[in-house]
Amino acid sequence: MRDAISAARRHIPAVALVTAKFSPQGDFVSRSAGMPDIPRVILPHPVAGTGEKAMKMVADDIAGEVLWALGAAG
Amino acid sequence: MSRRLTAPSEEAALERLHEAGCTDGLPVVVPTPARVERMVLASGLDGDASLGQLGPNMGEATVEKAAIAAVMAGCLPDHFPVVVAAVRAVCDPRMDMTEVQATTHSLGPLIVVNGPAVDACGIASGFGALGPGHRANASIGRAIRLAMINVGGGRPGTSDMALLGHPGKFTFCLGEDERSSPWPPLHASLGYGVDQSTVTVACTEGPHSVLCFPDDDPEAYAEHLLNVLAASLSGLGANNTHFARGTQVLVLNPDHAIALADAGHDCTTISEQLYQRAKHSWSELSAVRAKGSGIDRRQRSQGDDPDLAVHALSSPESLLILVAGGTGLYSAVMPSWGAGPHGNGHVTVEIDLDQSCEVPFAPLAS
Repeated sequence: MRDAISAARRHIPAVALVTAKFSPQGDFVSRSAGMPDIPRVILPHPVAGTGEKAMKMVADDIAGEVLWALGAAG
Repeated sequence: MSRRLTAPSEEAALERLHEAGCTDGLPVVVPTPARVERMVLASGLDGDASLGQLGPNMGEATVEKAAIAAVMAGCLPDHFPVVVAAVRAVCDPRMDMTEVQATTHSLGPLIVVNGPAVDACGIASGFGALGPGHRANASIGRAIRLAMINVGGGRPGTSDMALLGHPGKFTFCLGEDERSSPWPPLHASLGYGVDQSTVTVACTEGPHSVLCFPDDDPEAYAEHLLNVLAASLSGLGANNTHFARGTQVLVLNPDHAIALADAGHDCTTISEQLYQRAKHSWSELSAVRAKGSGIDRRQRSQGDDPDLAVHALSSPESLLILVAGGTGLYSAVMPSWGAGPHGNGHVTVEIDLDQSCEVPFAPLAS
Protein backbone atom coordinates (compact mmCIF):
# COMPACT_ATOMS: atom_id res chain seq x y z
CA MET A 1 0.00 0.00 0.00
CA ARG A 2 2.80 2.41 0.92
CA ASP A 3 4.64 1.54 -2.28
CA ALA A 4 1.58 2.42 -4.32
CA ILE A 5 1.13 5.67 -2.40
CA SER A 6 4.80 6.55 -2.90
CA ALA A 7 4.47 5.93 -6.64
CA ALA A 8 1.25 7.94 -6.86
CA ARG A 9 2.91 10.85 -5.07
CA ARG A 10 5.49 10.84 -7.84
CA HIS A 11 2.64 11.03 -10.37
CA ILE A 12 3.26 7.46 -11.45
CA PRO A 13 -0.02 5.60 -12.06
CA ALA A 14 -0.33 3.07 -9.26
CA VAL A 15 -2.68 0.47 -7.88
CA ALA A 16 -2.19 -1.42 -4.63
CA LEU A 17 -2.73 -5.17 -4.57
CA VAL A 18 -4.00 -6.30 -1.16
CA THR A 19 -5.16 -9.73 -0.10
CA ALA A 20 -8.61 -9.94 1.45
CA LYS A 21 -7.41 -10.56 5.00
CA PHE A 22 -5.17 -7.50 4.83
CA SER A 23 -7.83 -5.24 3.39
CA PRO A 24 -8.56 -3.53 6.76
CA GLN A 25 -4.83 -2.91 7.21
CA GLY A 26 -4.67 -1.47 3.70
CA ASP A 27 -7.53 0.88 4.56
CA PHE A 28 -5.72 1.96 7.75
CA VAL A 29 -2.42 2.57 5.96
CA SER A 30 -4.04 4.52 3.13
CA ARG A 31 -5.85 6.73 5.63
CA SER A 32 -2.79 7.28 7.82
CA ALA A 33 -0.64 8.03 4.79
CA GLY A 34 -3.15 10.67 3.67
CA MET A 35 -4.32 8.95 0.47
CA PRO A 36 -7.47 7.03 1.42
CA ASP A 37 -8.60 6.80 -2.21
CA ILE A 38 -5.48 5.16 -3.60
CA PRO A 39 -6.77 2.59 -6.10
CA ARG A 40 -6.62 -0.95 -4.83
CA VAL A 41 -7.53 -4.41 -5.99
CA ILE A 42 -8.37 -7.10 -3.48
CA LEU A 43 -6.76 -10.50 -4.05
CA PRO A 44 -7.76 -13.82 -2.53
CA HIS A 45 -5.85 -14.75 0.62
CA PRO A 46 -3.24 -16.14 0.67
CA VAL A 47 -1.28 -15.55 -2.49
CA ALA A 48 2.25 -16.23 -1.22
CA GLY A 49 3.28 -19.85 -1.52
CA THR A 50 0.30 -20.93 -3.60
CA GLY A 51 2.44 -21.76 -6.63
CA GLU A 52 2.97 -20.31 -10.06
CA LYS A 53 -0.16 -21.82 -11.57
CA ALA A 54 -2.44 -20.38 -8.90
CA MET A 55 -0.74 -17.00 -9.13
CA LYS A 56 -1.26 -16.90 -12.90
CA MET A 57 -4.94 -17.62 -12.35
CA VAL A 58 -5.17 -14.77 -9.87
CA ALA A 59 -3.33 -12.50 -12.31
CA ASP A 60 -5.75 -13.44 -15.09
CA ASP A 61 -8.70 -12.77 -12.81
CA ILE A 62 -7.59 -9.32 -11.72
CA ALA A 63 -5.86 -8.01 -14.84
CA GLY A 64 -8.94 -6.20 -16.09
CA GLU A 65 -9.60 -4.69 -12.68
CA VAL A 66 -6.01 -3.47 -12.42
CA LEU A 67 -6.21 -1.84 -15.85
CA TRP A 68 -9.51 -0.25 -14.92
CA ALA A 69 -8.04 1.08 -11.66
CA LEU A 70 -5.14 2.54 -13.64
CA GLY A 71 -7.54 4.32 -15.91
CA ALA A 72 -6.75 2.30 -19.01
CA ALA A 73 -10.26 1.06 -19.63
CA GLY A 74 -13.15 3.01 -21.05
CA MET B 1 -1.78 19.53 22.23
CA SER B 2 -3.34 16.11 22.70
CA ARG B 3 -7.06 15.56 22.35
CA ARG B 4 -8.97 15.51 25.64
CA LEU B 5 -11.76 13.21 26.68
CA THR B 6 -14.15 14.03 29.48
CA ALA B 7 -15.82 11.60 31.83
CA PRO B 8 -17.84 11.93 35.03
CA SER B 9 -15.55 9.69 37.09
CA GLU B 10 -12.21 7.87 37.10
CA GLU B 11 -13.98 4.57 36.43
CA ALA B 12 -15.94 6.02 33.53
CA ALA B 13 -12.75 7.53 32.09
CA LEU B 14 -11.03 4.14 32.19
CA GLU B 15 -13.94 2.52 30.38
CA ARG B 16 -13.87 5.27 27.74
CA LEU B 17 -10.17 4.62 27.17
CA HIS B 18 -10.81 0.90 26.81
CA GLU B 19 -13.70 1.52 24.40
CA ALA B 20 -11.61 3.91 22.33
CA GLY B 21 -8.89 1.27 21.88
CA CYS B 22 -6.36 3.38 23.77
CA THR B 23 -5.27 0.66 26.22
CA ASP B 24 -3.38 -2.60 25.94
CA GLY B 25 -6.40 -4.40 27.36
CA LEU B 26 -5.35 -3.98 30.98
CA PRO B 27 -6.46 -1.13 33.26
CA VAL B 28 -4.38 2.02 32.94
CA VAL B 29 -3.80 5.05 35.12
CA VAL B 30 -6.10 7.70 33.67
CA PRO B 31 -3.86 10.39 32.13
CA THR B 32 -5.39 13.51 33.63
CA PRO B 33 -3.86 16.83 32.60
CA ALA B 34 -2.25 17.26 36.04
CA ARG B 35 -0.60 13.83 35.91
CA VAL B 36 0.64 14.39 32.39
CA GLU B 37 1.95 17.86 33.20
CA ARG B 38 3.87 16.44 36.16
CA MET B 39 5.43 13.82 33.94
CA VAL B 40 6.40 16.40 31.32
CA LEU B 41 7.86 18.59 34.05
CA ALA B 42 10.00 15.68 35.22
CA SER B 43 11.60 15.45 31.81
CA GLY B 44 12.82 19.04 31.81
CA LEU B 45 11.69 19.14 28.18
CA ASP B 46 9.05 21.12 26.32
CA GLY B 47 5.86 19.11 26.03
CA ASP B 48 5.56 20.01 22.35
CA ALA B 49 9.10 18.87 21.54
CA SER B 50 9.07 16.02 19.04
CA LEU B 51 10.84 12.76 19.73
CA GLY B 52 10.11 11.53 16.21
CA GLN B 53 7.33 9.95 14.21
CA LEU B 54 5.92 6.55 14.93
CA GLY B 55 4.43 4.30 12.27
CA PRO B 56 2.34 2.97 10.79
CA ASN B 57 0.20 5.98 11.69
CA MET B 58 3.24 8.27 11.49
CA GLY B 59 1.97 10.03 14.58
CA GLU B 60 4.12 12.78 16.07
CA ALA B 61 5.60 11.43 19.28
CA THR B 62 5.84 14.60 21.34
CA VAL B 63 7.15 14.66 24.88
CA GLU B 64 3.56 15.20 26.01
CA LYS B 65 2.33 12.11 24.17
CA ALA B 66 5.18 10.08 25.62
CA ALA B 67 4.18 11.42 29.04
CA ILE B 68 0.58 10.33 28.48
CA ALA B 69 1.79 6.82 27.67
CA ALA B 70 4.05 6.84 30.73
CA VAL B 71 1.23 7.94 33.04
CA MET B 72 -1.13 5.33 31.60
CA ALA B 73 1.53 2.64 32.04
CA GLY B 74 2.04 3.49 35.70
CA CYS B 75 5.49 5.06 35.41
CA LEU B 76 6.96 7.24 38.11
CA PRO B 77 8.41 10.56 36.97
CA ASP B 78 11.84 9.07 37.72
CA HIS B 79 11.24 6.53 34.95
CA PHE B 80 10.39 9.09 32.34
CA PRO B 81 13.91 9.87 31.05
CA VAL B 82 14.18 6.18 30.11
CA VAL B 83 10.79 6.31 28.40
CA VAL B 84 11.84 9.42 26.46
CA ALA B 85 15.03 7.72 25.25
CA ALA B 86 13.17 4.54 24.33
CA VAL B 87 10.54 6.51 22.39
CA ARG B 88 13.36 8.25 20.52
CA ALA B 89 14.78 4.82 19.73
CA VAL B 90 11.55 3.31 18.38
CA CYS B 91 10.96 6.46 16.31
CA ASP B 92 14.39 6.14 14.70
CA PRO B 93 13.74 5.38 11.02
CA ARG B 94 16.25 2.52 11.24
CA MET B 95 13.80 0.67 13.48
CA ASP B 96 11.26 0.42 10.64
CA MET B 97 8.45 0.60 13.17
CA THR B 98 5.82 0.83 10.44
CA GLU B 99 6.87 -2.57 9.16
CA VAL B 100 7.53 -3.95 12.66
CA GLN B 101 3.98 -3.13 13.70
CA ALA B 102 2.46 -4.37 10.45
CA THR B 103 4.26 -7.70 10.12
CA THR B 104 2.55 -11.02 10.72
CA HIS B 105 5.66 -12.19 12.64
CA SER B 106 5.71 -12.08 16.45
CA LEU B 107 8.15 -9.44 17.60
CA GLY B 108 8.29 -6.48 19.88
CA PRO B 109 10.82 -3.90 21.01
CA LEU B 110 13.15 -5.29 23.67
CA ILE B 111 14.47 -2.39 25.75
CA VAL B 112 17.85 -2.95 27.38
CA VAL B 113 18.95 -0.29 29.86
CA ASN B 114 22.63 0.25 30.70
CA GLY B 115 24.61 2.60 32.90
CA PRO B 116 23.71 4.59 36.00
CA ALA B 117 20.03 4.76 34.95
CA VAL B 118 19.65 1.09 35.90
CA ASP B 119 20.08 1.91 39.59
CA ALA B 120 18.71 5.44 39.41
CA CYS B 121 15.40 4.22 37.99
CA GLY B 122 15.25 0.97 39.92
CA ILE B 123 15.35 -1.24 36.84
CA ALA B 124 15.68 -4.91 37.66
CA SER B 125 18.42 -6.96 36.02
CA GLY B 126 18.43 -10.10 38.15
CA PHE B 127 15.92 -12.85 38.92
CA GLY B 128 12.83 -12.57 36.75
CA ALA B 129 13.94 -9.32 35.16
CA LEU B 130 11.61 -9.91 32.22
CA GLY B 131 8.81 -11.26 34.38
CA PRO B 132 6.22 -9.71 36.67
CA GLY B 133 6.93 -7.87 39.89
CA HIS B 134 9.39 -5.17 38.81
CA ARG B 135 7.59 -1.86 38.56
CA ALA B 136 10.16 0.07 36.54
CA ASN B 137 10.66 -2.72 34.00
CA ALA B 138 6.94 -3.34 33.70
CA SER B 139 5.85 0.27 33.41
CA ILE B 140 8.66 1.54 31.14
CA GLY B 141 8.16 -1.26 28.64
CA ARG B 142 4.41 -0.85 28.82
CA ALA B 143 4.72 2.88 28.14
CA ILE B 144 6.50 2.12 24.88
CA ARG B 145 3.76 -0.28 23.85
CA LEU B 146 1.06 2.26 24.71
CA ALA B 147 2.90 4.84 22.60
CA MET B 148 3.02 2.30 19.76
CA ILE B 149 -0.74 1.84 20.10
CA ASN B 150 -1.82 5.46 20.53
CA VAL B 151 0.83 7.35 18.57
CA GLY B 152 1.86 4.67 16.10
CA GLY B 153 -1.66 3.32 15.66
CA GLY B 154 -0.74 -0.35 16.12
CA ARG B 155 -3.93 -2.26 16.82
CA PRO B 156 -4.39 -5.99 16.34
CA GLY B 157 -5.99 -7.10 13.13
CA THR B 158 -6.00 -3.75 11.37
CA SER B 159 -2.50 -2.31 11.72
CA ASP B 160 -0.66 -4.71 14.04
CA MET B 161 -0.91 -7.84 11.96
CA ALA B 162 1.02 -10.26 14.20
CA LEU B 163 -0.65 -13.61 13.76
CA LEU B 164 -0.23 -14.50 17.44
CA GLY B 165 2.02 -11.91 19.09
CA HIS B 166 4.04 -12.61 22.23
CA PRO B 167 3.69 -11.55 25.86
CA GLY B 168 6.66 -9.19 25.54
CA LYS B 169 4.41 -7.01 23.43
CA PHE B 170 2.81 -5.88 26.70
CA THR B 171 6.15 -4.92 28.20
CA PHE B 172 9.72 -5.99 27.39
CA CYS B 173 12.32 -4.07 29.38
CA LEU B 174 15.28 -5.03 31.58
CA GLY B 175 18.58 -3.70 32.79
CA GLU B 176 21.95 -5.34 32.28
CA ASP B 177 23.44 -6.80 35.45
CA GLU B 178 26.70 -4.94 34.96
CA ARG B 179 28.01 -5.83 38.42
CA SER B 180 27.76 -9.56 37.81
CA SER B 181 29.17 -9.41 34.32
CA PRO B 182 32.82 -10.39 33.83
CA TRP B 183 32.99 -8.08 30.81
CA PRO B 184 32.39 -4.42 29.97
CA PRO B 185 28.66 -3.70 29.62
CA LEU B 186 26.73 -3.82 26.38
CA HIS B 187 26.67 -0.06 25.83
CA ALA B 188 30.46 0.13 26.18
CA SER B 189 30.77 -2.34 23.32
CA LEU B 190 28.53 0.00 21.30
CA GLY B 191 30.82 2.98 21.83
CA TYR B 192 29.35 4.59 24.93
CA GLY B 193 31.13 5.30 28.19
CA VAL B 194 30.32 3.16 31.20
CA ASP B 195 29.20 6.35 32.99
CA GLN B 196 26.67 7.10 30.30
CA SER B 197 23.17 5.66 30.45
CA THR B 198 21.55 4.19 27.37
CA VAL B 199 18.61 2.27 26.05
CA THR B 200 19.33 -0.25 23.33
CA VAL B 201 16.23 -1.36 21.48
CA ALA B 202 16.01 -4.41 19.25
CA CYS B 203 12.74 -5.78 17.94
CA THR B 204 12.84 -9.51 18.60
CA GLU B 205 10.85 -12.58 19.36
CA GLY B 206 10.26 -13.41 22.99
CA PRO B 207 12.99 -15.08 25.05
CA HIS B 208 13.79 -18.69 24.17
CA SER B 209 15.22 -20.54 27.16
CA VAL B 210 18.63 -22.21 26.75
CA LEU B 211 19.57 -24.94 29.24
CA CYS B 212 23.19 -25.77 30.01
CA PHE B 213 24.38 -27.78 33.01
CA PRO B 214 27.70 -26.91 34.63
CA ASP B 215 30.77 -29.07 34.15
CA ASP B 216 33.80 -29.26 36.42
CA ASP B 217 35.98 -29.01 33.32
CA PRO B 218 35.88 -25.29 32.36
CA GLU B 219 36.77 -25.97 28.75
CA ALA B 220 34.06 -28.63 28.39
CA TYR B 221 31.51 -26.37 30.10
CA ALA B 222 32.25 -23.52 27.70
CA GLU B 223 32.10 -25.86 24.72
CA HIS B 224 28.73 -27.31 25.74
CA LEU B 225 27.39 -23.85 26.38
CA LEU B 226 28.56 -22.44 23.03
CA ASN B 227 27.11 -25.44 21.22
CA VAL B 228 23.70 -25.23 22.84
CA LEU B 229 23.55 -21.46 22.37
CA ALA B 230 24.45 -21.88 18.69
CA ALA B 231 21.74 -24.51 18.28
CA SER B 232 19.22 -22.18 19.90
CA LEU B 233 20.26 -19.32 17.61
CA SER B 234 19.72 -21.44 14.52
CA GLY B 235 16.36 -23.10 15.02
CA LEU B 236 14.95 -24.32 11.74
CA GLY B 237 11.71 -22.45 12.31
CA ALA B 238 13.36 -19.15 13.20
CA ASN B 239 13.33 -16.26 10.76
CA ASN B 240 17.04 -15.63 11.08
CA THR B 241 17.82 -19.16 9.91
CA HIS B 242 15.84 -18.36 6.78
CA PHE B 243 16.99 -14.78 6.20
CA ALA B 244 20.22 -14.32 8.27
CA ARG B 245 19.25 -10.73 8.92
CA GLY B 246 18.53 -8.61 11.94
CA THR B 247 19.84 -8.25 15.46
CA GLN B 248 19.58 -11.25 17.74
CA VAL B 249 19.98 -10.90 21.48
CA LEU B 250 21.74 -13.28 23.83
CA VAL B 251 21.06 -12.85 27.55
CA LEU B 252 23.59 -14.85 29.55
CA ASN B 253 22.84 -15.53 33.17
CA PRO B 254 25.78 -14.60 35.43
CA ASP B 255 26.87 -18.24 35.93
CA HIS B 256 27.02 -18.89 32.21
CA ALA B 257 28.85 -15.62 31.62
CA ILE B 258 31.48 -16.47 34.24
CA ALA B 259 31.87 -19.96 32.79
CA LEU B 260 32.64 -18.50 29.39
CA ALA B 261 34.98 -15.90 30.89
CA ASP B 262 36.79 -18.62 32.85
CA ALA B 263 37.42 -20.38 29.54
CA GLY B 264 39.02 -17.21 28.19
CA HIS B 265 36.10 -15.76 26.26
CA ASP B 266 34.85 -12.22 26.01
CA CYS B 267 31.84 -10.90 24.09
CA THR B 268 33.86 -10.56 20.89
CA THR B 269 35.07 -14.16 20.89
CA ILE B 270 31.65 -15.43 21.93
CA SER B 271 30.02 -13.59 19.02
CA GLU B 272 32.59 -14.96 16.61
CA GLN B 273 32.19 -18.49 17.95
CA LEU B 274 28.41 -18.35 17.76
CA TYR B 275 28.49 -16.90 14.27
CA GLN B 276 30.66 -19.81 13.19
CA ARG B 277 28.63 -22.48 15.00
CA ALA B 278 25.08 -21.25 14.34
CA LYS B 279 24.79 -22.67 10.86
CA HIS B 280 23.40 -25.46 8.73
CA SER B 281 24.33 -27.10 5.45
CA TRP B 282 22.00 -26.89 2.47
CA SER B 283 21.45 -30.62 2.92
CA GLU B 284 20.06 -30.02 6.43
CA LEU B 285 17.96 -27.08 5.26
CA SER B 286 16.39 -29.00 2.40
CA ALA B 287 13.86 -30.43 4.87
CA VAL B 288 12.40 -26.97 5.47
CA ARG B 289 13.00 -25.40 2.09
CA ALA B 290 9.80 -24.30 0.35
CA LYS B 291 9.65 -22.72 -3.08
CA GLY B 292 9.90 -18.94 -2.82
CA SER B 293 10.85 -19.06 0.86
CA GLY B 294 13.78 -17.21 2.38
CA ILE B 295 15.90 -20.34 2.36
CA ASP B 296 15.00 -20.98 -1.27
CA ARG B 297 16.06 -17.46 -2.22
CA ARG B 298 19.29 -17.71 -0.23
CA GLN B 299 20.14 -20.96 -1.94
CA ARG B 300 19.51 -19.43 -5.36
CA SER B 301 21.85 -16.54 -4.54
CA GLN B 302 24.55 -18.47 -2.68
CA GLY B 303 24.65 -21.66 -4.73
CA ASP B 304 23.64 -25.09 -3.62
CA ASP B 305 26.94 -26.70 -2.64
CA PRO B 306 25.59 -29.28 -0.16
CA ASP B 307 28.53 -28.67 2.17
CA LEU B 308 28.32 -24.88 2.13
CA ALA B 309 27.84 -23.36 5.59
CA VAL B 310 24.61 -21.39 5.78
CA HIS B 311 24.95 -19.03 8.72
CA ALA B 312 21.99 -18.08 10.90
CA LEU B 313 23.58 -14.74 11.86
CA SER B 314 24.45 -12.12 9.28
CA SER B 315 27.72 -11.35 11.12
CA PRO B 316 29.22 -11.69 14.59
CA GLU B 317 28.26 -8.05 15.19
CA SER B 318 24.57 -8.81 14.63
CA LEU B 319 24.47 -10.54 18.03
CA LEU B 320 24.00 -8.37 21.12
CA ILE B 321 25.25 -9.98 24.32
CA LEU B 322 24.32 -8.90 27.81
CA VAL B 323 24.32 -10.41 31.27
CA ALA B 324 21.04 -10.52 33.21
CA GLY B 325 18.80 -12.84 35.17
CA GLY B 326 19.36 -14.93 38.26
CA THR B 327 22.19 -17.40 38.67
CA GLY B 328 21.49 -20.93 37.46
CA LEU B 329 21.19 -23.16 34.44
CA TYR B 330 19.25 -21.00 32.01
CA SER B 331 20.22 -18.27 29.59
CA ALA B 332 18.03 -16.99 26.77
CA VAL B 333 18.15 -15.99 23.13
CA MET B 334 15.77 -13.63 21.34
CA PRO B 335 15.74 -14.37 17.59
CA SER B 336 15.29 -11.64 15.03
CA TRP B 337 12.63 -10.95 12.43
CA GLY B 338 15.05 -10.00 9.69
CA ALA B 339 12.79 -8.02 7.41
CA GLY B 340 12.06 -4.33 6.89
CA PRO B 341 13.96 -1.87 4.71
CA HIS B 342 16.73 -1.53 7.30
CA GLY B 343 16.93 -5.22 8.10
CA ASN B 344 15.69 -5.23 11.72
CA GLY B 345 18.81 -3.92 13.44
CA HIS B 346 19.13 -2.29 16.84
CA VAL B 347 19.29 1.35 17.91
CA THR B 348 20.96 2.80 21.00
CA VAL B 349 19.98 6.17 22.46
CA GLU B 350 21.58 7.92 25.41
CA ILE B 351 19.33 8.59 28.41
CA ASP B 352 19.58 12.17 29.54
CA LEU B 353 19.31 11.95 33.32
CA ASP B 354 20.68 15.48 33.82
CA GLN B 355 17.64 17.16 32.25
CA SER B 356 15.18 15.56 34.62
CA CYS B 357 13.73 17.36 37.64
CA GLU B 358 12.54 16.06 40.96
CA VAL B 359 8.77 16.05 41.16
CA PRO B 360 6.92 15.54 44.44
CA PHE B 361 5.69 11.96 44.66
CA ALA B 362 1.94 12.01 44.17
CA PRO B 363 1.26 9.69 41.27
CA LEU B 364 -2.51 9.54 41.62
CA ALA B 365 -3.15 13.23 42.22
CA SER B 366 -5.75 14.50 39.78
